Amino acid sequence: MDVSVLELWPRIVEATNETILMVGISLLLACLIGIPLGIALVVTRENGLMESGPVFNVLNVIVNIFRSIPFIILLVAILPITRFIVGTSIGTAAAVVPLVFFSAPFVARLVESSLLEVNKGVVEAAQAMGATNWQIIFRVLLPEALSSIALNLTIATIGLVGASAMAGFVGGGGLGDLAISYGYQRFETDIMIATVVLLVVIVQIVQMIGNYLSKKLRRL
Amino acid sequence: MIRFDQVTKTFEHEGTSFKAVDQVDLDIQKGEIFGVIGFSGAGKSTLVRLVNQLERPTSGQVKIDGQDMSRVSASELRNIRRDIGMIFQHFNLLETKTVYHNIAFPLTLAGTPKREVKKRVEEILEFVGLTDRANHYPDQLSGGQKQRVGIARALATSPSILLCDEATSALDPETTKSILKLLKKVRDEYNITVLIITHEMNVIKEICDRVAVMENGKVVEHGSIFDLFSQPKHPTTQKFVQTVMNDEIPESILKEVEARHIYRVTFRDGSASQPVLSNVAKHFNVEVNVLYGQITELQQTPFGNLIVELQGEDEEINNALQHLEKQVIIQEVKADGR
Repeated sequence: MDVSVLELWPRIVEATNETILMVGISLLLACLIGIPLGIALVVTRENGLMESGPVFNVLNVIVNIFRSIPFIILLVAILPITRFIVGTSIGTAAAVVPLVFFSAPFVARLVESSLLEVNKGVVEAAQAMGATNWQIIFRVLLPEALSSIALNLTIATIGLVGASAMAGFVGGGGLGDLAISYGYQRFETDIMIATVVLLVVIVQIVQMIGNYLSKKLRRL
Repeated sequence: MIRFDQVTKTFEHEGTSFKAVDQVDLDIQKGEIFGVIGFSGAGKSTLVRLVNQLERPTSGQVKIDGQDMSRVSASELRNIRRDIGMIFQHFNLLETKTVYHNIAFPLTLAGTPKREVKKRVEEILEFVGLTDRANHYPDQLSGGQKQRVGIARALATSPSILLCDEATSALDPETTKSILKLLKKVRDEYNITVLIITHEMNVIKEICDRVAVMENGKVVEHGSIFDLFSQPKHPTTQKFVQTVMNDEIPESILKEVEARHIYRVTFRDGSASQPVLSNVAKHFNVEVNVLYGQITELQQTPFGNLIVELQGEDEEINNALQHLEKQVIIQEVKADGR
């Protein structure tokens, strides 16, 4: 009944690819939604560039709602939406939908906190120069916060690697799925160790890339 | 050039309102260096922000060249702001950009062609003496150098007004001097109107032509610096003047004022460089005894206070006083020290 790591190697490689794919696509989509959302949270807040109480309150509540649902519940709760968007509720593509719902609000919060760190004086200086609000967002706030955003997105990415392990529930595949179905449910300790080691390696690499980018982005 | 007309700015905060600027009238002339001094919380930072409308007045008008700033459209305001440079206490430079790109920033915002930007930035780098630092980042510069970049950035769009918000307050005395010298050069070479906000009287003393003293949002006194230094009327002004010119009369002299003829002689408009007192001693039958005093420089002109005693017949003393009054300000010292 023992299956060796070697025998299962193709399956492990496949699972690694699935994890990278799931995390990559989810991160991309989460950024596409989360970054504008984070910017909106910053500029519409009190004393923001485009202060608007109603907009801020609505966005704030939506983000909080999604941030408070545990991923495993979100995964199941939005199954109908998933089916509507990708046509199926199982497989890697189906796992991406809940992962995006989970991480986009997280990215929004992280981007928000990075942007809030930008020195208010620099924004004031840009206003005094006659900059438009859009110029301030794209040429002051974002460039100045980029290094911090890179570090924060690293956190989001690692969070996604963790969450993607649960995607096994919808047959999403990936290393987490492999660890659960072989290592946990079938007591294949070798497989368990191999997958965990691979996850550790992925997280290490992600963090390294994040640190490198953050350092580079401090000087544009 | 810049005119404040009954300007009031009220801030509302959690139900309570606070008048940061209270019915201020000021008229700042083209090409002058105008100082606004006050303790922290006096409203001077708000006042300077009313000029470029970073703060909007609650009532009253701020006019630049006769144009009411609160009536212009948003896009007009952006154009006007390009004509008003501003520098800050904490420099407010873009940390991710080089000195060159920080200075180029207001030009690129305005859509200036690259070649023109390069020409202007190099010119202005030369002016502030930072040509060799063009490719450095702000965190590689000293405070004084950062403020030079701030000044260069503010001048990039060739403005006609420069606002300085506590521009030297984060700098050491030596660096402050060099920055003030640079600001003077800005005015002298480009004929820019400079409005300086500060809590340091030596900044005012060093470069300002005229000064307004602020307290609790109000301008309590304003005038030429010679007037303010020689005859400060408001207690706050007196306090500020004393920070750079100790004109308090020592106790030992005050004790004897009743019995002796003791006067405060204030030199201004260059009279300190003339032998006023020795002339009096020569022409009248009086002895001049200098008890105490201080001479300093206001805008490269000697200025000061001397406490002198005149000894002699009453009539001679009176004649001497009449003669002195033509050249200097002379006040009898009273027992209360004023």
